[in-house]
Amino acid sequence: MEFLREGFRRAVALLLSGDAEVFGIALLTLKIAVVATVIACGVGLPLGYFLATRRFWGRRAALTAVNTALAFPTVVVGLLLFGLLSRRGPLGELGWLYTWQAIVAGDVLLALPIAAALSAAAVQGVDARVRRTAQTLGAGRWLTAWTVAREARFALAAVITAAFGQVVAEIGAAMMLGGNHRGSTPTPPTAVAPYTPQGDFGLAIALGLVLIAIALLVNVTLQVLQGKGGA
Amino acid sequence: MLELRGVRHRYDGRLVLDLEHFAVPAGAMLAVVGHNGAGKSTLLRLLALLEAPTEGSVVWDGRPVRRASTALRRRVTLVEQRPVLLRGTVLENIGFGLQVRGVSRADAYKRTAEVAEQLGLLSLLERRRTELSDGEVQRVAVARALAIRPDVLLLDEPASSADRAASGALYRALAAERGKRSMAVCIASHQLEDAYRWADDIRALADGRLSPVTPENLFRVELTAAGTDTMSARVGSIDILVTTDRAGSAVLAVPPGDIFVSREPLSSSARNVLKGSVTRVATHRGGGVAVTADVGVELIAVVTADACRELALAPGAPVVFSFKASAVQVF
Repeated sequence: MEFLREGFRRAVALLLSGDAEVFGIALLTLKIAVVATVIACGVGLPLGYFLATRRFWGRRAALTAVNTALAFPTVVVGLLLFGLLSRRGPLGELGWLYTWQAIVAGDVLLALPIAAALSAAAVQGVDARVRRTAQTLGAGRWLTAWTVAREARFALAAVITAAFGQVVAEIGAAMMLGGNHRGSTPTPPTAVAPYTPQGDFGLAIALGLVLIAIALLVNVTLQVLQGKGGA
Repeated sequence: MLELRGVRHRYDGRLVLDLEHFAVPAGAMLAVVGHNGAGKSTLLRLLALLEAPTEGSVVWDGRPVRRASTALRRRVTLVEQRPVLLRGTVLENIGFGLQVRGVSRADAYKRTAEVAEQLGLLSLLERRRTELSDGEVQRVAVARALAIRPDVLLLDEPASSADRAASGALYRALAAERGKRSMAVCIASHQLEDAYRWADDIRALADGRLSPVTPENLFRVELTAAGTDTMSARVGSIDILVTTDRAGSAVLAVPPGDIFVSREPLSSSARNVLKGSVTRVATHRGGGVAVTADVGVELIAVVTADACRELALAPGAPVVFSFKASAVQVF
């Protein structure tokens, strides 16, 4: 137990002293998480709305595909992207492997199905009359979608939170794409893993606390953005 | 102005609307009556360009509508039977259609206040949907539709949750709006009395088809054998005998002019002799007097004003309705 107590003491000291390594990793994590969530939700939410509101041939198959993608093992996504981004891969020229962009790409692939599938469910949960009402009052396509989204705002905020959570907590793909050795592109999950066996509990715990703080910050922000929840 | 041509509309393969031709002329005041499930709401959704017919076409000013553009949809609006209010206050709801049209805030407020006053909603402008009764929600939805000054206003049972005063305010607001400009109104209703009061034209819908007879005394029934050439149909608490070779589900119509009205049972060939009491007496649109009686089910008969006077037909008076099995129409 002593090593844990010591680990916490060191973690608090690192955080209070504004340790450059801890806060560097935290900022990078925040950047990756925000960029990946924005891209995943920017594509996934409209895709979910489309799947929920349009009737087209193959819609059921598309919904099944998106729902199946929810269960994709993260290492499989990491492996796929690793193959694409490696020097011999078709996207090797981008030079993204072991950079934060590669982690973003992996996170987007993992968060996109969450954003699409859950937002489709959220939109399907909105009374169909809301969409018809907006349309019959003259709203165009985007304003109609916005009106429906306002009605589903709590569910959609939960979708964004879930996507963000996936991105922040993701480790499998991030370790493959960002690297898990000192000097590569570390995020708290990928950094905690190698630092722990090296006995650097303080740094690992400090990064763990950073992860929790980020998750808390995002949830509080989203709750504030949802407003007071008036009808 | 707005027409349906050769429309057959299906949900999951089930035919719910089958109309060779249905038109809403410019400036018309039209009522569509029919029982629940007759297809009235589907008809209005097609007219509102919210759904495309499975077969046939919606025609606007003589041109088939291939794709309902926002610009076209802005000329027609629908108030659903159980309307929903959007997030926000009553003021924001009434102004929604104006806001999407880019009307300035000042003009939108002026217009909103105008229709809110017509429908007695001024005191509710700052309320939210959870603070309104069903009747108030209906009035807000009608105000929201009137605010955008549509060319065609479609109303699905707009007074179903309204009390008499609110219903009166609604019809007065419609009349006031039509007094200012040309606006076609098409109201789906199951209340014939209301339809007769304000509509220029009444069409009856039964099982998705336009009824070839007047809209009174329409019933959806199950026909069962009752004799060598007659079938029986249970309607309310009575059985109506019908001369037909059809069986099973059907729509049955008893033409009001074919009902003999008397105070005592007549000795006649009429197979349907129903005793009851008068519930309403009103001037009939097509001439004569419409006598509504509860004879186990509510039926309307049309008699001359003289006959009404001689028989002293007034609410509460005992009455006998008689009609021949062959007078009943089945389709």
